[in-house]
Amino acid sequence: MKISGQNAIAAPVDKVWEAILDPRVLVATIPGCEQLEATGENAYAMTVSAGVAAIKGTYSGSCLLQDLRHGEGLTMKLKGAGAPGTIDATVLVSFKDDGAQTVLSYDADAVVGGMIGGVGQRMLTSVSRRMAAEFFGNVEKVIAGGLPAAVAAAEPAVSAEGAPVYAAAPKAAAPSAAGGESFLLGVAVGGGLVLAGVIVGGLLGRRR
Amino acid sequence: MTTKMMGAKVQRVEDDRLVRGTGRYVDDVAPDALHAAVLRSPHAHARIVSIDVDAVLDVEGVHAVWTHEDLEGAMAEPLPLLIPHPTLTHGRTQYALAKDEVNHVGEAIAFVVADDRYVAEDALARIVVEYELLPAVVGIEAARTATHLVHDDVPGNVAARMEQSNGDAAAAIAAAPHTLSLDLKIERSACMPMEGRGTVARWDPDQNRLQVWTSTQTSTGVRAAVAAKLGLDLGQVDVITPDVGGGFGVKIVHPWPEELLVPLAAQRLGRAVKFTEDRREHFISSAHERAQMHHVEVGFDDEGRVLGLDVRFWHDHGAYTPYGLIVPIITSTQLLGPYKPGAYHVQFDSLYTNTVIVTPYRGAGRPQGCFVMERTMDAIAAELGKDRADVRAVNFIQPDEFPYDQGLIFQDGRELKYDSGDYPAMLAKIKELVDWDHFEDFRAAKAAEGKRVGLGLACYVEGTGVGPYEGAHVHIETSGKVKVATGLTSQGQGHQTAFAQIVADELGVRFEDVEITTGDTRRMPYAVGTFASRAAVMSGSAIHLAAKRTKEKALRIAADALEADVDDLEIVDGVVSVKGTDSSIPLGTVAVLSNPLRYAFDEASKAATQFNVGDPTKPPVAEDDEPGLEGKDFYSPPRSTFASGMHAVIVETDVETAEIRILKYAVVHDCGHLINPMIVEGQIHGGVAQGVGGALYERMAYDESGQLLNASFMDFLMPYVTEVPASIEIDHLETPSPLNPLGIKGAGEAGVIPGSAAFAAAIEDAERLPITAMPISPSELFALRATHAPHAQESK
Repeated sequence: MKISGQNAIAAPVDKVWEAILDPRVLVATIPGCEQLEATGENAYAMTVSAGVAAIKGTYSGSCLLQDLRHGEGLTMKLKGAGAPGTIDATVLVSFKDDGAQTVLSYDADAVVGGMIGGVGQRMLTSVSRRMAAEFFGNVEKVIAGGLPAAVAAAEPAVSAEGAPVYAAAPKAAAPSAAGGESFLLGVAVGGGLVLAGVIVGGLLGRRR
Repeated sequence: MTTKMMGAKVQRVEDDRLVRGTGRYVDDVAPDALHAAVLRSPHAHARIVSIDVDAVLDVEGVHAVWTHEDLEGAMAEPLPLLIPHPTLTHGRTQYALAKDEVNHVGEAIAFVVADDRYVAEDALARIVVEYELLPAVVGIEAARTATHLVHDDVPGNVAARMEQSNGDAAAAIAAAPHTLSLDLKIERSACMPMEGRGTVARWDPDQNRLQVWTSTQTSTGVRAAVAAKLGLDLGQVDVITPDVGGGFGVKIVHPWPEELLVPLAAQRLGRAVKFTEDRREHFISSAHERAQMHHVEVGFDDEGRVLGLDVRFWHDHGAYTPYGLIVPIITSTQLLGPYKPGAYHVQFDSLYTNTVIVTPYRGAGRPQGCFVMERTMDAIAAELGKDRADVRAVNFIQPDEFPYDQGLIFQDGRELKYDSGDYPAMLAKIKELVDWDHFEDFRAAKAAEGKRVGLGLACYVEGTGVGPYEGAHVHIETSGKVKVATGLTSQGQGHQTAFAQIVADELGVRFEDVEITTGDTRRMPYAVGTFASRAAVMSGSAIHLAAKRTKEKALRIAADALEADVDDLEIVDGVVSVKGTDSSIPLGTVAVLSNPLRYAFDEASKAATQFNVGDPTKPPVAEDDEPGLEGKDFYSPPRSTFASGMHAVIVETDVETAEIRILKYAVVHDCGHLINPMIVEGQIHGGVAQGVGGALYERMAYDESGQLLNASFMDFLMPYVTEVPASIEIDHLETPSPLNPLGIKGAGEAGVIPGSAAFAAAIEDAERLPITAMPISPSELFALRATHAPHAQESK
């Protein structure tokens, strides 16, 4: 299935590019993102808890960023699997400088499998768009107001393999300023993750 | 003789039970059984890199988790290719659990047995499978183009190419005064019985016996397959088919992976095990049908007489070919319907796709064949400016031409030779029923109201009652009750009623004293199954023959007891009497006498002890006789018997929205002698409902990656009672079959066959634009209007 859409963030493109590539931002802004682990250069493993109405669950997935063109765009390769389904997606994200704001467009080509492929697919497009909008809205807030304090202050944990692991902040933590190079990576991943999380997550949950 | 039951509108005796919810289905059996669930492929085409079941092993309540690695011997081999054919050069079947590769969404990968279905499904969620995705082949065009292959070792995705001809069609077309070519398409659909698949098995370690309950159309077929796969003797396996909530073809496939895995689990675990398919599983792991594309070349004379007909078609059989080529063979032969083209040539390719397998769905290739032939007839009429009924009439096989040999080989390997029929009489009836000759007045009246209506007609011939055989066993108890067993199964056809009518007539017993058992291998181990509209013809005939044998024996014993001649006896209401006298003996007593006893157990049996009966100078049971008042016989016809029918439908197509409304639906049907007209009409009603579904609603919406997008009743449209015509006008014609003792032909599938053809014709007639693909939705019709602007302008 193909999903495309665009959202505007009220910040200059450099700022958005930076923000969107920071795993800490991602963890804080992706709806339902519980954990993000760097597994290589521009490669992440993630856990996203997402759902639509009563259909909720946790997905494990991976995200690979390719073809990074600073301030212009990137390609995300996403994989996710949970009990009710699987997703394999390629998402093209482009950034457009629009004066005070940045317009992000995404174009996803997703293969959705399992129960979600057959039962929920017709709902996924609208759900995905809604969650993408929520994500970009969160990013905008972080750029404007900074990261939640708990996230900003915390050093990433280290996984068994030595990779940094970013955990989501407790809900309602106060925002604080943050930025930096890795921050940027984060938000880009976010766009893809949201799609992945949404698409996959939408169908999550237990069968029946 | 009491009232003759054959031909009477006897109310179905099974309905009291079924309608009140006291039917007993597979899922009702063994309520304490362990439950199985199956991990199914989320991908249409993928290599399985690894399967990790570690996380399931210590889940509380899980008793077994298997992948292909856990299967041994015959169980680890591919499932049987049930119907091999010389032209099926590249037949492939799946494994009970996928080995290395999956070829459609829904293919079974792992099998879990747990305390209940909840635990079993939770366990499935913990199994981690790593896949390497492969390109999916979806749809006939993709299969034909063969840019990607479903099976690496099947070039061009072609499992079979088959060709048949009668005469030189190409030459006849070349020489014909008029020619046309058409491209016609039918989409995928599925039967959707209310009850999905289901299997329960119990292993009895004390007897070393396996008992299997399964929702199937062939209990003997399942029995043979289970025994072969589990390495058991046939005599160790009993298969029982209780009430079945609809079959429609999908349940003729056997063994399903679960039909083997459940018995194996019961044997290994020593516990009863149950699998009950859920609806989504039915969509993605049972079977579909119908998808075909056809190209027609036809040559005809000024009267519309078909001189040469050449049909090339492509059949999408899904990922595997367990049921062989039955569906396309039926299309290629039954396409001819009631007509006799001067020459005919047909060739089809049966193609692999990464979608669910295809097996016969009520009608089984005939709806497509009928669609192709009837669209061709309509096209000829349009080309010549002739009445559509007249063009059909000049092509009919005439009543004095039977038996009529179409010069082809049918799906049973026998000649396509029609036994009887009267198509001109049938056409006269359908024209009258739908008021064909005055339709233009009706159209004009509707047009004056700003409405657009159309009339369609479709004719078909249906080979029914295919062999090889069915059998029956009739046993008259000492109580006078009659117990009858036949091996094929029942899925709601009213066998209890129809078969009891046959027995009551032949034996002269009361209808309510007859009890029919079907689909239980303990009672009748030799049987074939319920498909191809064959139960009434095959088992009905076998039951008639077995009852006749039983009657002969009863009369022989009664003649002895009554000291009368057999020819002077009659049986009425279960009592044998000497005609015109009051000398009589109940059949129950005859049953007592038929079994010489040493030991009495009640008053009646005292009469049969050896001091009371028999000639003391002869053996109590004669050399050529056996004890008991029983009869067994089998019916095996030389070939199929050919039923026929014609449907006409009047539709209104909404001028604004393109909504298609059915104003009138008429059916003329000939299935030879009717056993029970009420049951036949019920079959027609059900068939027409499925025909409406196939023509206007049902389709399998696969995306290009092989995901079925409408795998639920939220998205897969089926007609409700609101979409089926409130009244279906039915008229019968009875041209008896000469091939069986009762002169009957099958009726089960008939109603569905001409649906798409008749609706396409009616919509075309209303809209004046060619309808070449079915099913058709209002949106599609709306779009067609846009691409055929002339009509839109004309109507303005």
